Amino acid sequence: MWRSLDEKDQSAETRTEQAQSEFGRTTAAGDEMVDASSLTGESSGFGRRGFMTLSGATAAVVGLQACIRRPVEMILPYTDSVEHIVPGVPMHFATVTARRTDALGLVVTSHQGRPTKVEGNPAHPSSRGGTDVWAQASLLDLYDPDRSTIAFSKSVKDLAPTNPALRRASRAQVEQELLSAVAAHKANAGAGLRFLAPPSLSPSWMRVRDQILGFLPKAQFHTHASVHDWNAREGATVAFGQPVHAIARIERAKVILSLDCDFLGTDTGSVASSAAFAHGRRVRSGSDPMNRLYVVEPTLSNTGANADHHLRLPASQVGRYLRAIAQHLKEVHQIDSAGVGPALGKYDPSGIPNEWLTAVTKDLVENRGRSVLMVGARQPGWVHALAHAVNEGLGNTGRTVSYAAVQDSQEEHPEQSLRTLVQDMSKGAVRTLLILGGDPVHDSPADLDMAGALSKVAFSLHLSDRRNGTTAACNAHIPETHELEAWGDLVSRDGTYAVQQPLVEPLFHGMSSLELLNVVRSAKTVADGAISGHDLVQETLKFRMAGRVPNFQRVWRSTLHRGVFRRGRPIQPPTVMTGPVAQAVQTGLAQAAKKLSKDNLEVVFAPCNKLFDGRHANNPWLLELPDNVTKVCWDNVAMISPPTAREFGLSNGDMVEITVGPNAVEVPAWVQPGHADNSVSLSLGWGREGVGRYGKNQGFDVQGLRRNGQMWITTGSLKPKGTRYFIAQTQDHDSMEGRPIAIDATQEQYKNDPIFAKKKSVDMTQVAPPLWKTEDYSKDAIAPFHKWGMTIDLSACTGCNTCVVACQSENNIPSVGKRQIARGREMYWIRIDRYFVGDDENNPQVSVQPVGCQQCEQAPCENVCPVNATVHSPDGLNDMVYNRCIGTRYCANNCPYKVRRFNYRAWHGYLDDPMANYDELPEIRKMQYNPNVTVRMRGVMEKCTYCVQRIRRSHITRENEGREYRDGDVTPACAQACPTRAITFGDLNDSNSRVARSASMDRSYRLLAELGTRPRTIYLGKIRNPNPAMETHASNQASENQA
Amino acid sequence: MSAHAPVEEIGERPLLPPGTTFHDITEDVSRITENPAPRGWWILFMLALGLAGLLGAALTYLLTVGVGSWGNNSPVAWAWDITNFVWWIGIGHAGTLISAILFLFRQKWRTSINRFAEAMTIFAVMCAGIFPGIHTGRPWFDYYMFPLPNQMEMWPNFKSPLMWDIFAVSTYFTVSALFWFTGLIPDFATLRDRAKNPIRKWVYGFLALGWRGSNRHWRNYERAYLILAAISTPLVLSVHSIVSFDFATSVLPGWHTTIFPPYFVAGAVFSGFAMVLTLLLITRSVFGMHNLVTMKHLELMNKFMLATGTLVGYAYAMEFFIAWYSGNPYEWHVFRYNRLAGPWEGDNAGPLWWAYWAMISCNVLVPQLFWSKRMRTSIPVMFVASILINIGMWFERFVIIATSLHRDFLPSSWGYFSPTMIDIALYLGTFGLFFTLFLLFIRWIPMIAIAEVKGVLPQADPHYAPPPGSSSGGTDSVAPQGGAEVSHA
Repeated sequence: MWRSLDEKDQSAETRTEQAQSEFGRTTAAGDEMVDASSLTGESSGFGRRGFMTLSGATAAVVGLQACIRRPVEMILPYTDSVEHIVPGVPMHFATVTARRTDALGLVVTSHQGRPTKVEGNPAHPSSRGGTDVWAQASLLDLYDPDRSTIAFSKSVKDLAPTNPALRRASRAQVEQELLSAVAAHKANAGAGLRFLAPPSLSPSWMRVRDQILGFLPKAQFHTHASVHDWNAREGATVAFGQPVHAIARIERAKVILSLDCDFLGTDTGSVASSAAFAHGRRVRSGSDPMNRLYVVEPTLSNTGANADHHLRLPASQVGRYLRAIAQHLKEVHQIDSAGVGPALGKYDPSGIPNEWLTAVTKDLVENRGRSVLMVGARQPGWVHALAHAVNEGLGNTGRTVSYAAVQDSQEEHPEQSLRTLVQDMSKGAVRTLLILGGDPVHDSPADLDMAGALSKVAFSLHLSDRRNGTTAACNAHIPETHELEAWGDLVSRDGTYAVQQPLVEPLFHGMSSLELLNVVRSAKTVADGAISGHDLVQETLKFRMAGRVPNFQRVWRSTLHRGVFRRGRPIQPPTVMTGPVAQAVQTGLAQAAKKLSKDNLEVVFAPCNKLFDGRHANNPWLLELPDNVTKVCWDNVAMISPPTAREFGLSNGDMVEITVGPNAVEVPAWVQPGHADNSVSLSLGWGREGVGRYGKNQGFDVQGLRRNGQMWITTGSLKPKGTRYFIAQTQDHDSMEGRPIAIDATQEQYKNDPIFAKKKSVDMTQVAPPLWKTEDYSKDAIAPFHKWGMTIDLSACTGCNTCVVACQSENNIPSVGKRQIARGREMYWIRIDRYFVGDDENNPQVSVQPVGCQQCEQAPCENVCPVNATVHSPDGLNDMVYNRCIGTRYCANNCPYKVRRFNYRAWHGYLDDPMANYDELPEIRKMQYNPNVTVRMRGVMEKCTYCVQRIRRSHITRENEGREYRDGDVTPACAQACPTRAITFGDLNDSNSRVARSASMDRSYRLLAELGTRPRTIYLGKIRNPNPAMETHASNQASENQA
Repeated sequence: MSAHAPVEEIGERPLLPPGTTFHDITEDVSRITENPAPRGWWILFMLALGLAGLLGAALTYLLTVGVGSWGNNSPVAWAWDITNFVWWIGIGHAGTLISAILFLFRQKWRTSINRFAEAMTIFAVMCAGIFPGIHTGRPWFDYYMFPLPNQMEMWPNFKSPLMWDIFAVSTYFTVSALFWFTGLIPDFATLRDRAKNPIRKWVYGFLALGWRGSNRHWRNYERAYLILAAISTPLVLSVHSIVSFDFATSVLPGWHTTIFPPYFVAGAVFSGFAMVLTLLLITRSVFGMHNLVTMKHLELMNKFMLATGTLVGYAYAMEFFIAWYSGNPYEWHVFRYNRLAGPWEGDNAGPLWWAYWAMISCNVLVPQLFWSKRMRTSIPVMFVASILINIGMWFERFVIIATSLHRDFLPSSWGYFSPTMIDIALYLGTFGLFFTLFLLFIRWIPMIAIAEVKGVLPQADPHYAPPPGSSSGGTDSVAPQGGAEVSHA
């Protein structure tokens, strides 16, 4: 299969070349056997033999749950079958991926050498088995047809990337050129040699960096990231005198006050935070303790959507709100947070509802030691520092907040660091520059002329996964490996060390940032024997073990097997230093922006909850993914509040021009209920030209508005353009129309009426029994089959979309494109329905509800199909027989849940080209497909199957092992990916199973049960925990109850 | 001997102008097929053929690209495809009704229009039959719907109303075609006997199946016609009842309604009559057949439309009543907010409200004109009304299908439907097919049942008239009814 990638459109002469190179490589196999470092080495192309080398290596150490990859030591011909490799039986490898200052442990499924599915690593503290949308979608970044495939430089011609031998050769030459450029700096100890890299979490990377600085002391490493956690670091440095990570232990908190912190969405550590948050929401009875979430933020983030109380406040006012809280604590409750009280100045409650001071502080004080304040990454350092002080004053330190040491004490402030670099470049002080990843030309502050400065650098090399604006401005380029292609190591926020294990040999002869640094360190190209990433990581691990464990290989294997080496330990809580905090607060308050108005709007930037900072900008799963709150696909929008929209006379899709300083961008407006007035929220990562075929010019690039020092919160003006822009959404009706769909209650109501959900939906005892005999699915009737069922806890679900992408990845679900989304032809088997509840457009309550096929026992879809293409399995699943389906779509019409999806076109390969079909899909994309799931053709109906392929695989495994079904044997992709464990799956006939216990909870109900469909998916009503002392939601709650 | 003349004292009016002879009828009808086609025919035929070509092109594109070339989506998985199907099937109802039911009820006025209406039925059912075949995602597997024993051990699901549809429509088509052809046999014989061209003679001779007009032929023919009429009669009621089951047996609010079978039948007759009237008015004036299709015929048809239109209006009202009376909030929402409510009710109204109001105005309000005799005898009024009624009936099906689908149980899945060029081209294309076939029919086949019309002339019903002064009647000398004279003409 991989071979065809290269062979697809090659000419006769390249074929000859390739044959020669292949022959040459085969004869060199003996050398490879000696050279243990050849796994990521240059000598192998990715042909059948390359695949076999990998398979051989994996076969040596294969385990059942997780396996270890070792370097290649032999080549096996496929004429003899390989032990442990069973075609069709996937293997799983533990690895890890970076998330700003955190790392997320993963377990990746591999089919015959192709990674096809990403799951969380239960052993990793940041994941605990859960994932986020980016982890789920990262496969498509690996299999992106628009990745850079070949290295080039001034002297190495930029060739069409058809031939693996050429790729290898050009990369070796570029490496050589780099080495000669670096060698010239030996004389002056590295002066004029610069590196620009994103903040790193990799001990190996830092080790190699330090070694380089050891022999080139005047070389400099600069830091750049479009989205980073530096503000938090700065705040911690101010508060504690040292940069530490403050990690909120949400699972221990009763009261959470989020200050513009999207910890259930885009902020660092969202997977673990989501799990911890849901832990405090998953109540079994009305008297169970439950956490309460207050969110103060300008927009309605995913966290805001889950809040019990949401205060819309411009981002620049959030610090002022925190100051008011601190003042109130001091004045009313005599809690002087770390003694910063006097610095807070005059009490200024303007614009802040009184209850948001009195009731919230009362709640915080009553829950001293069990409350936590969390500050968002984009808030300035002083807000973080003040929050540390308040947390200390409330006694949360060490209880609901733990602390960990930062990994890289040398890390520089990204913007300052980049500014220094650009200034030096402009002065001509930089002769050699290595840019290790990213696209700084695009996402550097708008007032820095990165491209212009690059032209003054004699040798600039860009290591990157695709050719973007920065590549064009540099004079050399090497393709960067994807995280699933390279060895590495990452330390998560809490200090857990994990090894990043490649799943596949680099598809395009790329190298990782670590390997490139190592080339510089060892002054040798990889072909000449620079050691591989694998060996570098082993070295690092040996260092970390410091010789304490006698058998290194055993530790190495278990590290790879579990995915983590050693869990990090929190450090002793540091003490807040009053003076610096007081000073920072005073400085921060002094800089507070002018009063916001129609003409002086606040402009706030946020990492996109789909494309993040733009690194996933060519990933169709993420491009198409409906936004958590707006449900907009394929675009980003400028969110404004309904009052502001009225002031400007704007409605959804009206183009507006947003001007910040000298720069302006045009974006479509979006009227977002719950947004702060006089504030515009923009998300990053969209609208770029050079990202590839899928993301090209999708959405709007707002990077041009970010200026040095004002990268997150700034002010500007807005001007309606008078033109309209068409926006595609998957859900445009926000109201439940008073229907009992996503049923919720307050904790109080739950206590008074435990079966509120059943009462609101339908009491099945009141429904007349069917006229005819219904199928009996009791244990005795269907043995040896199981009565599969699913529960979805709406209290635990945060609507993070991870299940949606996980399902897409597991079940080969295509993306359809913006125009087809607008036509209403999205293909998601599970979708997140989002409803706004309440009458106040400025303070909506949000209910989210994941809806997949409900697997009705009396399925309305089945009896209308004329060709028996959808039928019941013996275990009561509603099966879809693709072969038999002729596509009358009658089933979809008769499905009350509208979960059936129809292949109106040949979606696979479809890119707004009506004639396209699966064959047109780039070969590399086909590597992602799950071989256990049919790729559906045009004209066929499809829907959620409860991941029937996993059910059947588990059955086969049990048969082979000769054992009975155990609870937890089968987990559908959605349940497995869910960071909050909101989805439970299992046998409803087994009363001890988690799903049966969950289903028997008093707040369970079945969606549209009154239709007599007897769904197998059971929802657990959402419980909210509003503060009775707050009026804000009281009215909403009341109106909702009438529904 | 004298003929039975209409008894004016009891309100009988002659169906045809007094003095019409058998020969007049033979001439009037046959010459249309014998004389060169008038220029108007050619213009219409070319237009129709062009539209049929559009159908071919649209079908080719559709089959190449798939049903994604339509506007159908989720939740509106059926839209114009099934709307057009039900609409054409509905139009096909008038033919059989006029032929069969009116025949059994001895409504002699039907003879002038039955051939015409039956032909229209057959062509309409052909147009309708296209849609179930092509609306599937993989039409090359449509044969899975037939109970053909096969090695894959597949068998259709007889619980599905779509299966019932297949049998209902194909039965209807077969019986209608047989009925039509049976009625044509004596007329083909007339054309054969008049033919001068040997090819023409051979073709009509072949179609006439050796008809000699013997008494035995007539007896068998009448018997066969009667039997076919008896078979067709339940079909008139069953076809649209079964088509309505597609909707009535589902769970969807707006579809799940027990009133649908009679409501659909009434609607079908309604639209069928409207279509017959539209076509008849054109043909009548183009070919100058005022003697054969008289104002009496037209007025009777308008009365039928008034009756069925009012029935349909009653059904609309009943749907509302049940939606309210049942207390089912989903159903009430469909009727109250997705249909009745317009933009004057703000955000509550669904986006397809205009379709509902188009339907009400055309189907319920327009036929009320026919309470007035002046209106129902005015050719322009009835022409415009008949067209409006057909538009309204198309909207009725669109309202039932699309507005019920576009907003059902879960508001998260609510959507909208807008047609594409292919949707429109296919619909227009079926008109092309319909009119092509229809124009060919007019040109080559006696469009009025010669034999049957002769049968309703007074001459065909001779009575013994006792000579003046004679007191005893001669009932035993009444000639058998029928067209014995025709065959000797």
